[in-house]
Amino acid sequence: MWLPVIGFIIGIVLGFSTDWRIPAEYANYLSIAILAAFDTLIGGIRAHLQNVYDENVFFTGFFFNIILAASLAFLGVYLGVDLYLAAVFAFGVRLFQNIAVIRRIWLAKWMEKREKS
Amino acid sequence: MTMKVVRGNYVILSLVCLVLGFMLSFSYEYTKSRVEKRTITDKQWNKEYEYRQLLIQSQKENQKLKAELMSKQEKVRKMEASLADKKKAYSDLATEAEQLRMYIGKVKVRGAGVEVTLSDASYIPSEQSATNYIVHEQHVLKVVHELLISGAEAIAINGQRISHRSYIVCNGPVIEVDGTQHSAPFTISAIGDSNVLASALTIAGGVKDQLTGDHVVVDIQQKDDITLDPIFHTNRE
Repeated sequence: MWLPVIGFIIGIVLGFSTDWRIPAEYANYLSIAILAAFDTLIGGIRAHLQNVYDENVFFTGFFFNIILAASLAFLGVYLGVDLYLAAVFAFGVRLFQNIAVIRRIWLAKWMEKREKS
Repeated sequence: MTMKVVRGNYVILSLVCLVLGFMLSFSYEYTKSRVEKRTITDKQWNKEYEYRQLLIQSQKENQKLKAELMSKQEKVRKMEASLADKKKAYSDLATEAEQLRMYIGKVKVRGAGVEVTLSDASYIPSEQSATNYIVHEQHVLKVVHELLISGAEAIAINGQRISHRSYIVCNGPVIEVDGTQHSAPFTISAIGDSNVLASALTIAGGVKDQLTGDHVVVDIQQKDDITLDPIFHTNRE
């Protein structure tokens, strides 16, 4: 149970302690990647709560979404179209939907628990 | 089996969390540094602009003051120079005044020169022609003129300084110089280059010869030290 938390903390420490900096033009890709990662993580939690969680789907989705989002942004830069906005929109909408689903499930669980007790 | 799956779950979740945490903190750090940089730059830009303006202003002021200082120094230098010139002129004027006083006989003068003594002839053949054997005022005048022409700086007759306004007239048996009577022998003292004066007088056919021709006994002596008293304004206002 604590392993993901430890991994998360190690990741944060690593991120803070890294010295190298990416060029300013790749900042967009980074933000998109973070959004994708968030989306995947929240989606995973939702799937887990809905009991449809698949490890492989989650794992591949996590990295694939990041790469896809970054590629989309990259393509957008070269096409002169702000394609990363599409990624932001898609991921953002899904993020909110997933969070809403998670909230409802937790709320239902909590209500159930209260009725029980 | 279930344990294994759960463990695998956790490992994968951990990996995902690690990557997410890394990306989050990295992005946070990156954004922070960028924002900081930008805000600092903005602030700095404003401040820098302000300071630059101040600097430029003070530099301009400095330049102006420097120019002013230079012009003032130039002025001071000019004033000093003119002051020095004036001082020099003053001292020159004082020296000149002293010299002029010497020339016009207001002060005692001293220097090398010649003394010319004109005496009546010692031998006078007859009473009728006695007037041909005594010193006349024109003889004295001749000598005085010759001395003046030769560059005498001060002349005195029997110790009386004569000036440019002096007169020498015949007054019977005596000669009157500026109202003072003098009798023979006349000693004419002149200050100047003694050699020049003496040779001017003794030049062939010159004053000495003429005077000798007029039976006047002429005695010229070069002297190293002649002192002439100033003119006394006894008979003149």
